[in-house]
This record gives sequence, structure tokens and C-alpha cells, in this order.
Amino acid sequence: MTESKRISRRDAGRWIAGLSLTAAMISGGSRAQEPPKPRQIVVNASIGDTLVATRKVYYAEFERLYGIKVVESGPVSLAKLRAMVESGNIEWTISEVGGEDAIRAEKLGLFEPIDRKIVDMDALPGAVGQRKVTLARGIYSTTLAYRKDAFKNGKYPQSWVDFWDVKNFPGPRSLRGRAIDTLEFALQADGVPVDKLYPLDLDRAFRKLDEIKPHIAVWWTTGQQPAQLLIDREVVMTSGWNGRFYKLQRDPASGIDTAWTGSMVKIGTFGVVKGTPHAYWGQKMLAVMNDPKLQAAYAEQVGYPGTHPKSWDYVRAESHRYFPTSPVNLPKVGWTNDEWWAANGGAVEERFARWLLAR
Amino acid sequence: MSSPAEPRRPRWLRLEGPFVLGLPAILFLMLLFVGPVLRLMLMSVEGGSLAAYEKALTDGLYLRVFLDTFEIAAIVTVACALLGYPVAYVLTTLSRGWAALGFACIMIPMLTSVLVRTYAWMVLLGRSGIINRTLMDWGLTDRPLALMYNLPSVIVAMAHVLLPMFILPVYSVMVRVDRELLRAADGLGASGWQTFTRVYLPLTWPGVLAGATLVFIISLGFYITPALLGGGRIVMIANVIENQVQALLDWRFASALSVVLLVATLAVQAASNRVQAPRG
Repeated sequence: MTESKRISRRDAGRWIAGLSLTAAMISGGSRAQEPPKPRQIVVNASIGDTLVATRKVYYAEFERLYGIKVVESGPVSLAKLRAMVESGNIEWTISEVGGEDAIRAEKLGLFEPIDRKIVDMDALPGAVGQRKVTLARGIYSTTLAYRKDAFKNGKYPQSWVDFWDVKNFPGPRSLRGRAIDTLEFALQADGVPVDKLYPLDLDRAFRKLDEIKPHIAVWWTTGQQPAQLLIDREVVMTSGWNGRFYKLQRDPASGIDTAWTGSMVKIGTFGVVKGTPHAYWGQKMLAVMNDPKLQAAYAEQVGYPGTHPKSWDYVRAESHRYFPTSPVNLPKVGWTNDEWWAANGGAVEERFARWLLAR
Repeated sequence: MSSPAEPRRPRWLRLEGPFVLGLPAILFLMLLFVGPVLRLMLMSVEGGSLAAYEKALTDGLYLRVFLDTFEIAAIVTVACALLGYPVAYVLTTLSRGWAALGFACIMIPMLTSVLVRTYAWMVLLGRSGIINRTLMDWGLTDRPLALMYNLPSVIVAMAHVLLPMFILPVYSVMVRVDRELLRAADGLGASGWQTFTRVYLPLTWPGVLAGATLVFIISLGFYITPALLGGGRIVMIANVIENQVQALLDWRFASALSVVLLVATLAVQAASNRVQAPRG
């Protein structure tokens, strides 16, 4: 008896909520034209620590606002996105793409245009505010990280010049097994200022890479490798995505820190997948991801800061030193030129592979 | 001869029983394997051009990787044969209980994921791994040796992963060898070595060939072990194909490389079918 009463009371509660929602929709004018809500949308994004934070910060907020379940998918793969769009079998509502892939995805027509009425693109600075199909949600950087206990007297490597200096900073090293994220560092080691890297002087970069090649124990291929190589003491320093070192460098016991000088900054972007039936709700998710407060909360959790200029108002001052584009670090870093890589990446990567395999 | 109630049926219809039984598997393979492979082949000649094949077969970089892949597969096959043949022989001599234990030791690793087994080797071979720490504790070396991220580590781990693939076919042939033949050879005055090379090895050769072919062909397509233990310097063709698909988005070239690998694999299979057992 009591059980059925309780249920009916809960049902009544739902009815009232439903009625008031309907009333709100009718009175809301434009909101009345919202397309029907799907049961769920699928967001394809990076996996690992960032996924935990993305769920906690962005997906939870989206679910709270609209009552649509967000299904997680990963990892980020431009190849899979392209296969999906070309076959017309669209599983994802929105998808992340990294760095220069945003431009390739736009050229390949893999994303729907951004609806500027839903996503406040005008808030974003410079070129990212003018983007047509991708929202620049977050910043990530490829950064030098090292083990403190590998060097004496507190003299730690501070730049890519130091990375190449095997006399004063001896020990095995790791770099990425790709041209992107590596050639820029070789040029900096050879004295090119971080704001004058492009167009890359390839011959000069490969000459400089010849110098360091015997000291590279591992050419890393997946994002989780660099931090693990430092933890396992396989290398004394490495390049790597800064978020992968974030928790380690906030924990003094780890003995791992980063040097921001010469870090190459890239933009992590999201777009609404071309042909998805839930494009409208995908745009709504982009709007959630463009919220400066949420971007700040996300940054505090994983070390990848937001693109919205206002997001810095919400980041604690003592955290600034851990973010590549915080006011303290911004003057030290460089910006990866996505256009250059989108145009030259194929040929340059092939040359790099050839160089890497040469005995 | 046939009774009038049962009219003569054409040959293919008389096969209908077995054919119907095999139909689900045939459809499954046609739909999910042959179809995609054909699409892959079509993709490799997209735009009616053979340029992708020209590049795959003439560019020094990719030829190098193909040669390295075959070389690694060959070394792994020889290693599996040298390690696996005696193990298979010992298994045939064991009592039922011990043989069951021996098989468990071979099968359990085989059923464990390749990824896990590769990581296990990283724990063993790392600079602060078990082997290096032991060597340093015993004072045999004062700095960690570079045991990992080189060709030997890739070969050791691949041989470990593939060893059961060699042992099982060889064992299945060995248990069918008539022991009396060995005693007969002995009785006729053959030395142990002669009995082995002129009687036992020729009789077990089909198993060796089957095991070696299996190991070689699976080695050709290995991806995760060279990716993790090769340190970026040991690159097999599957790693190059993955890079073309994922990073460079050159699917036409990736398809061409895949088709070349497929043809090479079929050629190995065909060659192994033609090899005759050595005559004693």
C-alpha cells in the first residue's frame, strides 16, 4: 500500500515538472522550436585522465542542463572520423581532433558549420574566433619534462638547447617518433627563436637531429609513454604533452618537473560530426565546452587550460605555473603552425621516417 | 542402379549436405573477410592508378621495412624452432599427468593477451627492471644495460609470444611417430644422431614445416610488440601501415602496402606447401 502511494506521489511530481517544462518551452518562444531531445549523444574525445575530467566538468553539466545522456567514446582518431563520415554510418555526435588535424578535418568536410547563435565564438580571441567548423576548446603543449634526481646541484635542463647538451645534462632521452613536435625543438636547439620557426628550415632541423639521435633511447609513439619513461627511469628527460606530467609535477614526491621555455602550444578542438542526426544538441554541447568557468575547472584537473580569455579569471593564481598559456608562461612558449603542418605534414613525416630508419 | 523413387541428382546437389553445413561459415567469411579485402584492393588502385604500388615496391624506405619485417620473422621462426622442437619432443615422452602440466604451461601464456605479455617483458628488461637490478645487485655491472628498445628485445618477446604456435603442430605430428621405428633404427646399428637425422626428423618434418609457416606468417603482421619494445627504431610493415592510416590519412598507399603484405604472405604459404620433407 505504502509502496504504491509513494510511486504515485513520485509520478505526480514528474507530471508537475513536465507541465512546468512545457509551459517554459511555450513561453520561451525560440526554445519551443528545439528539435526533439534524443535519449543520448555520443562524444568522441581523448581517453585517460582527461576523459575523467571531461565527464566530471562538461558532460555532467550538459546532462544537468538538458537531461540528455552523454556517451563517452575514444580515443581521438581523424582516420575513424573520416571513415565514419565517408561511409555515412555516423556514430559520434561531436568529436575532438588534435592540433593541425582541425584544418585537415575542415578541408575533408568532416564537420558541420558552427552555429554562432548557439556557440559564442565572438568571445574567442583572434583566428580561433573566426573558425568555421571547429570550436577551439582547450590548449595543450608539447613540453620538456625531466627527472630532478638525474641532475646534480639543482641544475636542471631549462630549454631545448639544454636538451641537446649531452655533456652538461647526460643520460638517455626520448622524443616523439614524428616530425611534428620534434623538428621545432631541433631548430630551437640550433638557435632559432621560438617565434621565427616557420616555415621550418628542414635541412637545418635534420642536421641538428643527427646530433641527438644516438642519445635518444626511445622515440615515443603514444601519449602515455613519456611520463611512464620518466617514472621507470628509462630516460632522464623527454618531450611530452604537458597534461601527462601535470599530476606528477604537482606532486613533489614524484621528482618530475617541466621546463616551459620553447614548449610548442597547440589547440584541441571539437566539431559537430557531419551528418549526425543530433547536430543541434552537438552545438549545445560545444556551447557548454565554451563556458569559461567550466574551462577553468577542467584546467585545474588536467593541466590543459581553456581558450576562453575569461577562463583565467577562475583559475587559482598558484596554479598558473602549471599551464603553458598562463600569463607567466605565455611569453616562453611557441605556437605550432597548424596551416604549415596541414600543408607539409605528409612529405615531412615521410622524410622523418626515412631519417629515423637510416642506420 | 538407383531406385526409381530416388531420381539421379547432379553431382553438386549430392554435395548439398556438407555444403549446407558449411554455408554459415562461408557466408561469414565472404561478408566479413573477403568483402573488406576486396574493398581494400580496390582502394589501393583508386583513380585507376598504380602509383601507390610503384611507391611501395620501389621506394627504398618501404623496401627496407619489408626486408626488415621478413628478416625479423625469419629470426623469430628459427628461434621458435630451436626452442620449441625439444619442448615438443619432451612433451611426447611425459606421463599423462606431467604432459597435462606441460600443456598448461604452454597454453595459459598463449591465451594471455599479447599486450600483457609484451608489457611483462618491459618489466623484465627495463633499465630499472628485474634483470638489470639483479645484475647490479650482484655487482656484475655498475650501470643498467640497454636490454630494451632494440632488435634483440623485439625478437625475444615475439619468440615468446609465438612459441606455442610452433610447439603444438610439431607435437601433434610427433605423437603419431611409431616408437618402434626408432628402436628398429637402433637395432640396425644407427647412432643416436643418425636415428634423429634419418628417421625422426624426416618423420616429424611436416609438423616443423607447419609450425614454422604459422610462426613466420603471424610474425609478418606483428604490430604491438615492435611498437612497444622497438623504441621507434625497430619498425615492421604493420607499424608503417598504421602510421599511413592514422597519422597521414594516405589510405590508398596503406591499402597498397597491405596488399603487398598479403601477397607476400600467400607466397610464403604456397612455398611452404611445395617444400618436400628431406630424404634420409
